[in-house]
Amino acid sequence: MRFNEKELVFLSRQPSERAAELGMRGPKKGDVVKRRQVKLIVNFLFYFRIDEDEPIGALLLEQCRVEKEDNHAFSIVFLDEAERKYLFECDSQEQCVEWIDAIVKASYEFMRKNLIHYRTEIHRLTGKDPLEQYGISDETRFQVNSGLPPLPPPPT
Amino acid sequence: MKIHEKIITHYLSCTSPVDKEGYLYKKRERNTTYLRRWFVLKGNLLFYQERPGDRNLLGVIVLEGCMVQACETDGQFCFSLVFTGPGLRTYRLAADDHFSQESWIGALFCASHIYLSVIVRDLERRYEEARRDKGLCDSIQSSAVASTPNNIMASWNTGQPFFVHGTSIVPRDGRSYSTSSIPPPSVPNRPISYSLHAPPIQFKTSNKRSPKLWPKRNAHVTPLNGPVPSFGEWPVVNFDPSEEFSKLHEYYGNEIKQLRADWLKKKREEVGYVAEDLIDLG
Repeated sequence: MRFNEKELVFLSRQPSERAAELGMRGPKKGDVVKRRQVKLIVNFLFYFRIDEDEPIGALLLEQCRVEKEDNHAFSIVFLDEAERKYLFECDSQEQCVEWIDAIVKASYEFMRKNLIHYRTEIHRLTGKDPLEQYGISDETRFQVNSGLPPLPPPPT
Repeated sequence: MKIHEKIITHYLSCTSPVDKEGYLYKKRERNTTYLRRWFVLKGNLLFYQERPGDRNLLGVIVLEGCMVQACETDGQFCFSLVFTGPGLRTYRLAADDHFSQESWIGALFCASHIYLSVIVRDLERRYEEARRDKGLCDSIQSSAVASTPNNIMASWNTGQPFFVHGTSIVPRDGRSYSTSSIPPPSVPNRPISYSLHAPPIQFKTSNKRSPKLWPKRNAHVTPLNGPVPSFGEWPVVNFDPSEEFSKLHEYYGNEIKQLRADWLKKKREEVGYVAEDLIDLG
């Protein structure tokens, strides 16, 4: 599957929401913990070898479960059939909790739910739709009922 | 760089809503031909495949850091995804008709995570305001839902045009679809471009103008009917003007203190001593 790699690498060089050197262990049996520079940008978790410019990889933080593990660590489990689990070791409990919080809140779907919640509440409290001034109140992605399956495309 | 394809395709196929899908033409990178592809937009990801229902995805475009622009150069109903940055690509797409073109441009324009987080941040503030107005809030803390990243906005907006383009909000009229750094012409509420472009608090270092030289305007009053003043006319501070006056007082006060310190130092060098202040400034 092709993807816009150059643009993603460029994205990985931008200021991040959160970045730190953490211990990281992959999901395969036999994978060991390695020190990686981990950077959270939008809903991607980029990870680099220490002092390298180009990321080794990018994890899309959607459809995943983030959990606290023992010893200042947390894990990200991706909810596909394989249920791949990535482990991250932090330097302190505080750092660990902060990372978990940041990753959960970075998900696009989480933010979408927030937006819909605020939109609904503001409308209830003020009688006005706050999205109208941006001209985006009709966009499908911001609708309250966006949990329903999409309509089939019109016949071409 | 590894993109962990299975995670991405799982996101596409899971139950969360698809934001838009349909046929578009995609121009090949080195060729002039347009190929018809089935596109699916979900979150900040634009997937494409040959036909709907195909199990084999041809590719995905991550929609962060690009401008969406209508362009008529290649013929009718064309538009581009212009990634702003050195050596980055422009994707050229075309729709079947004007309605589809407008609809896709609209959907792609507000698809990025950056855009979404700016909107959420603004709504969060307005929600708190609405609650306060109704006398519902006793604390400033937001309720169960998240607060969006703060530092990301300030740092991304100082410097690279990449993110200045990416984060300005322009209410869409019939023509301008590309995000740009022009503030909205007339907005009843406090313009969002204000909070987007204000850099972090910098005392004196970058702004040498004394506040007295700015046009006389009460910085705390949001014009209700007239046009929004351009960014350059707002004081360079990064907080909500409806917050404490003391912050503003301290900000301006520091500049005065610095000026006075400079003056005293200069006087010392000239005269060899410093006279006591005639007035006790405390």
